[in-house]
Amino acid sequence: MAIDEALLSNATPAWPVVMRVYRWERPTLSIGHFQRIEDRERVPGLRDLPWVRRKTGGGAIVHDQELTYSVLIPSCDNQPSKGHNESLYRACHNSIAANLRTLGWNAQLSESCTCDPRKNENAEPFLCFLRRSPVDLVVGNDNNKILGSAQRRSRTGLLQHGSFLLRRSQAATELNGLLDLPKDLDTFCENGSLSRMPGKEMRGLQSNIGSNLGGGSRIGSSNLELDGWIEFLVSSLKQGVFQLLQIQWQLGKLTDLILDLNGVELTGNRFPLQ
Amino acid sequence: MSISPEHLRYCESHEWVYVDETSGIATVGISAFAVAELTDLVFMALPKVGQTVTAGGEFGEVESVKAVSPMYSPVGGTVVEIHSALVDKLESLSVDPYNEGWIMKVKMSDPSELDRLLDWDAYSKQCSH
Repeated sequence: MAIDEALLSNATPAWPVVMRVYRWERPTLSIGHFQRIEDRERVPGLRDLPWVRRKTGGGAIVHDQELTYSVLIPSCDNQPSKGHNESLYRACHNSIAANLRTLGWNAQLSESCTCDPRKNENAEPFLCFLRRSPVDLVVGNDNNKILGSAQRRSRTGLLQHGSFLLRRSQAATELNGLLDLPKDLDTFCENGSLSRMPGKEMRGLQSNIGSNLGGGSRIGSSNLELDGWIEFLVSSLKQGVFQLLQIQWQLGKLTDLILDLNGVELTGNRFPLQ
Repeated sequence: MSISPEHLRYCESHEWVYVDETSGIATVGISAFAVAELTDLVFMALPKVGQTVTAGGEFGEVESVKAVSPMYSPVGGTVVEIHSALVDKLESLSVDPYNEGWIMKVKMSDPSELDRLLDWDAYSKQCSH
């Protein structure tokens, strides 16, 4: 995740759009930018997890039986300096939802919101996957949230990253992952359209962190299943971003980009305790 | 005194500044356009009193429901006052971003930096694009 931060701070208009999919070496808690780490006491099971503070907002996420993704869009002319990019959320999430439906899950966007600006932070659940915003991806009649994303703007670009929850974690047993949920064979018709971002033609760079896949506990019964879900997520994100930005993806390495990683620790607890 | 948006100067990133000609203190906030772009605000991180800010540099952050966005200072100088109560009543930004919604006050180090900012007409034109 520190690499996501480095990508955002180093991006230039000459960069391509960069997409990453990765897992974590061991179960780790990432908290939203403005959350207090002390509040994890509200949730049993989180106390002993290593943790990091994201640059994005929202609730805390247990990175365990899940895949993390990020999409970086470098700044271009007329890019807004504030607020979220709704189109990017919907492009990514709708693509994943549509592909999950072809596999038999009743997946759709939540279109509901637990956030109330009049409430204080403690009124919201500590964990991201217990919160709801309209673009969250939910599955089944109980609206189990299995994908949540957040964005961060800067002068250099827009970073969106998210967590695709595949299985329940022992650190957060109240959260069902996709593979904990039954399939629904009813067909699901979807209406909607994706708006296009204005601006120049963009290129895309897709970086699969293959060397990180062996760390931590395994999601499926075999690496083959995990590889399949990684490919599913990569493919779905590529489709979604392509529909929005019309870019051509190619597999690349982070070393293809010039990154100033001074001061960015890539291992250990990167973010300082506050 | 009630601040009118037509009499303010603006950054391209939608922060506004009002200067008290007597004291030379600059009051900074974000525009109605920015508030509308941000949609539902849930948190704001303010600078600290005594902090040095630079023209065009980040001085704080604001979280809306689905994004964290930076706020950029229109002028450089030293923060002399912050609107701490604003954090608990962010909805006032939707009602009156130019008076109730002020964010910080800065003792300017270089008032000529104001000349680089947009006036109301230029800012309005930018927002309409």
